[in-house]
Amino acid sequence: MKKAVASVRAWAGRRGALALAALLMAAPASAARSPESWDRIAPARELLGDAKPRAGGIELRLPAVTQDGSSVPLTVRVDHPMEEGNFVEALYLFASGNPSPELAEIRFTPLAGEARIDTRIRLDGSQTVVALARTSRGEWLAGAREVRVTVSGCNSRSAGSVENLMEVRVRAPDRLRAGQTGDVRTLINHPMETGLRADAEGRVIPERIVRTFRVEFEGRTVLEARYYRAMAANPYLLFPVAPERSGTLSFFWKEDAGESVTAEASIRVS
Amino acid sequence: MGELSGHVLLVLWGGFAIGLIFGAIGQRIEFCLSGGLREWWSEGRPRRAGAFFLASAVALAGTQLAAGLGWVDLGASIYYPGSFSWLLVPAGGVLFGYGMILARGCGSRALVLLGDGNVRSLLVLLCLGLAAGAMLTGVLAPLRLAVAEATEVALRPGEPSLPGVLASAGLPGGFARAAAAVVAAAGLAGWALFRLRLARHPREAAGAAGIGLLVPAAWMLTGRFGADDFDPMPVESLTFVAPVTDALQYLMLSTGLSLRFGVAVVAGVVLGSAILSLATRSFELRGFESAREVVRMAAGGVLMGGGGALALGCSVGQGLTGLSSLALMSFPAVGGILAGAWLAVRGPEFLRIH
Repeated sequence: MKKAVASVRAWAGRRGALALAALLMAAPASAARSPESWDRIAPARELLGDAKPRAGGIELRLPAVTQDGSSVPLTVRVDHPMEEGNFVEALYLFASGNPSPELAEIRFTPLAGEARIDTRIRLDGSQTVVALARTSRGEWLAGAREVRVTVSGCNSRSAGSVENLMEVRVRAPDRLRAGQTGDVRTLINHPMETGLRADAEGRVIPERIVRTFRVEFEGRTVLEARYYRAMAANPYLLFPVAPERSGTLSFFWKEDAGESVTAEASIRVS
Repeated sequence: MGELSGHVLLVLWGGFAIGLIFGAIGQRIEFCLSGGLREWWSEGRPRRAGAFFLASAVALAGTQLAAGLGWVDLGASIYYPGSFSWLLVPAGGVLFGYGMILARGCGSRALVLLGDGNVRSLLVLLCLGLAAGAMLTGVLAPLRLAVAEATEVALRPGEPSLPGVLASAGLPGGFARAAAAVVAAAGLAGWALFRLRLARHPREAAGAAGIGLLVPAAWMLTGRFGADDFDPMPVESLTFVAPVTDALQYLMLSTGLSLRFGVAVVAGVVLGSAILSLATRSFELRGFESAREVVRMAAGGVLMGGGGALALGCSVGQGLTGLSSLALMSFPAVGGILAGAWLAVRGPEFLRIH
């Protein structure tokens, strides 16, 4: 009897060691083969085609833990020059765990001075937020960051009832030195209905979002954005601008129901 | 997380300053609902309970004045929800009230005592923070949400508060607010000063009024100075359940979190109490006397954390801040806290804490 127990133990021990060895050998192999986070997002795969993005070079900033998935602050900064002939042409943002992963697509020009934005997004649970950037030379950069979304600690306030639809707010620097980059903040009142929500009677509220946002400086494009339904209500966007001379910034928003609105702000460059 | 903009810094430093004052006054006059109720109900000395209710009256008057003048939009705070649970809010209050007697002081009192060198309150605060976190966002959160949904009462828009109800009954809006505020504040203050005999102790009365004023000050700070066009801060005032959890979380995850108003207040209260205590040479390390006491403090902290999370506030969060907004939800919450404390002090023998 005793002998049998001992042999069982020996067998278990040997088996354990084997399993451990297998695990140790498998770990580096699987790490090398593990698909990058953007490979798991269909629209991102489609966008990239055969291109291999360089990881790093895009910094994403999100809270590590948030209780409010309906409005998560996000900062994205692409570490790349913004000069004629070599600048960040487009930035694509994805939320891997959302029903539809696209967040926004933002096109920059060298007039922006830096490829950097602040905004607020909707996240349906804990997941990885992914950014891809394409430079004017056709290179791809990539970055990703994980965020944990817990249930809300407070009773959620009635979402969707947005007052003063299409009212916009803009804050641009009054004065800049030539070559200096200044931050422009913009916000538009809009519920950004996802089309996934039902009203009190159970009818689905149709999708209605601010679809495009464009900024020009004296007729030249600074930035063009296309929003998807995972942008938070009252879409907020902070972006840089680096004008060489004084002039006027013009802002254009357009939404699904056909309404559009414009705003202007002047900047003095000394 | 990165550089903070001006209005955020203002709200955070302002919260820290409010915390310092709360900590210092709180230590001076031993501001404590739990101790006050115990002295009143079991020893017949109502003065300290009176101080709490006077602070509540002053907070109410100041807050309603600020709201009436349009300086702060209370409707954006958590006290004016579209619905609340008829079960969890009062039941959470009962758990909190019972827990604060068990732990010999509520969350804010524990912060003040910690600054004074009382290490027992460290255990109370850790347990409170953990339990509140478990209830708000952790393992107990799904249960909380399920029960809340099953026991939800919807509030009609525009009337989640006493003035709102009066206004919808036909009184003009401004008059409804003024009437509700004057009657409630004067009644509460008169009761505290004369029936509870606080008027005989002018120093305590002045301190309590000072603490009461911190509530509208905090409302103004977050609701007016924090109201940036692009990045408004949450409209809130003093409370000591969720902010204790947030403070613990911030200690552990600060590189990925932004500092919140409540955390700045919590830090201020501990430091304000500690500074006063060191300056007056009353700082003294005090620990546990028995293993039984360890269990008692831990259990009290857990009940306060879990209960406070359900009731959306503690003795200060609902008793001062919630009542100051005259939110309908705050009445069952405060009633629950008082009932829980009563059970612990004067209730049936098997529930009583000696």
